[in-house]
Amino acid sequence: MFKFSRFDPLAKPVIALCGLLLFGAIAVFSQSSPEEQLPAGAAKEKAEDTCLVCHEARIIVQQRLDKAAWTKEVDKMVRWGADVDPKDRDALIDYLSTNFSPDQPAYEAPRTKADSTEKLKSKH
Amino acid sequence: MLSRRAFLKTASAVALVPGGIRSLLSWASDSSISIPGKDGLIVRSYRFLDLETPVEFMTDWITPVNHFYVRNHMLAPAEVDAASWKLTITGEVRKPLTLTLADLAKSPIHHVTNTLECAGNGRSLQSPKVPGIQWGKGAVGNARFSGPSMKFLLEKAGLKDSAKHVQFRGLDGVPGNVPAFVRSIPVEKALDGDTLVATHMNGAPISIHHGYPARAITPGWVGAASCKWLTEITVLDKPAEGNFMSPGYRFPNTPGRPGEPVKPENTHSLTALTVKSLVAAPSDGAKLNAGPHTIQGVAWAGEADVIKVEISTDGGDKWNPAELGRDHAKYAWRLWKYAWRPTKSGSHVILSRATDSQGRVQPEAAVWNPSGYLYNAYDQVRVYVQV
Repeated sequence: MFKFSRFDPLAKPVIALCGLLLFGAIAVFSQSSPEEQLPAGAAKEKAEDTCLVCHEARIIVQQRLDKAAWTKEVDKMVRWGADVDPKDRDALIDYLSTNFSPDQPAYEAPRTKADSTEKLKSKH
Repeated sequence: MLSRRAFLKTASAVALVPGGIRSLLSWASDSSISIPGKDGLIVRSYRFLDLETPVEFMTDWITPVNHFYVRNHMLAPAEVDAASWKLTITGEVRKPLTLTLADLAKSPIHHVTNTLECAGNGRSLQSPKVPGIQWGKGAVGNARFSGPSMKFLLEKAGLKDSAKHVQFRGLDGVPGNVPAFVRSIPVEKALDGDTLVATHMNGAPISIHHGYPARAITPGWVGAASCKWLTEITVLDKPAEGNFMSPGYRFPNTPGRPGEPVKPENTHSLTALTVKSLVAAPSDGAKLNAGPHTIQGVAWAGEADVIKVEISTDGGDKWNPAELGRDHAKYAWRLWKYAWRPTKSGSHVILSRATDSQGRVQPEAAVWNPSGYLYNAYDQVRVYVQV
């Protein structure tokens, strides 16, 4: 079996290349997540830290609610365990009601692949 | 220490590794999402999983499992060990039971073809908008469920005179302080002989997406009455309590004005589905020639029978009867079709409305309610004709 000796001049570049490939693969994985992303905004990170622990962003981005309705939703989620610092509550509600208000166009949901079952069958 | 956000990003990247780089790269290239066993469905939520059936798939009486919608309130169990799975029946019974999957298989098996519909189906069509999964038209499907009747199992346990409601609980993972998904049905419904502990769907063991290894099937009722991954049946002397009995899954006793709050005392718990039809073809926005064309779709009415489906091709001025399909079973939808030869070019609105054996007629406008339940306005598609 092929092995690098500790002093092989190729060892460092090859290991570095492997590391780079691994890093690249992880980057691709991160970008390819089937989970939806939240849009940019002042409270985006707070929303990520608070909401996405329990559910994905798609549940938020498909809503079209006014500020009163978002306030009720945020307060319900706090009762259900969302960790919202009271000083962040208003900013979070502003972020949600600005980005996901009734006047925004409808969210376009993706579909699942059309042929997974055929592939499963062909494996057996 | 990792922040929650960093943890989530790392965890989601790691969780994806077993899926294989090929599927990941193909996802990246075509933006559809790979969910084995679920083909071409609309992703309303990936975590937790909520998938909607496109209406154009609704041309078969039995919905294949790979096209059947999925509604999870919370996290589905990652895996269930059938060998150690147990179902308990406790509460207001003389002889509490603990049943294995083998015990269920040895029981008399009953089959029910049932149209299962999420109470929130059509929520996105409500105006003003309401919170919740923004289902389009397709959180509904029709499947043949099999398993012992709830009646057989409850009689084996022996109901006390105090038995009034039957509560279900499954293996849903509950994050944070989110209330557990626990609901109950009246004992009369549980004992009707058709309510099941279903182990099979369309002739195969029920899949994990649909409640493996066993789920309640409360036929004709909103999907929330059919608890998945069932492990606990508790007989109660009153309805279950908790978020999913109240304020969840309640409907106004009388219609109010859209957008106005509804007082809790003016609501009742959702039970059976209402009368409804959908147009599966032609698709909304389709461009059609002179034809003739077959307008087709499905219609259902919970515990009642669909007796008539009517179609309008002029936006509601004139209605014509559709032909109902031959396949028919209590609790199951009916296929319908209508032959149409358009005579004028231009935009046409096709409407469908169903009538049931209880005299209910699908209305022009649904009853608005703060949770968007039981949307059942006339279905409509707009098509563009060139004769």
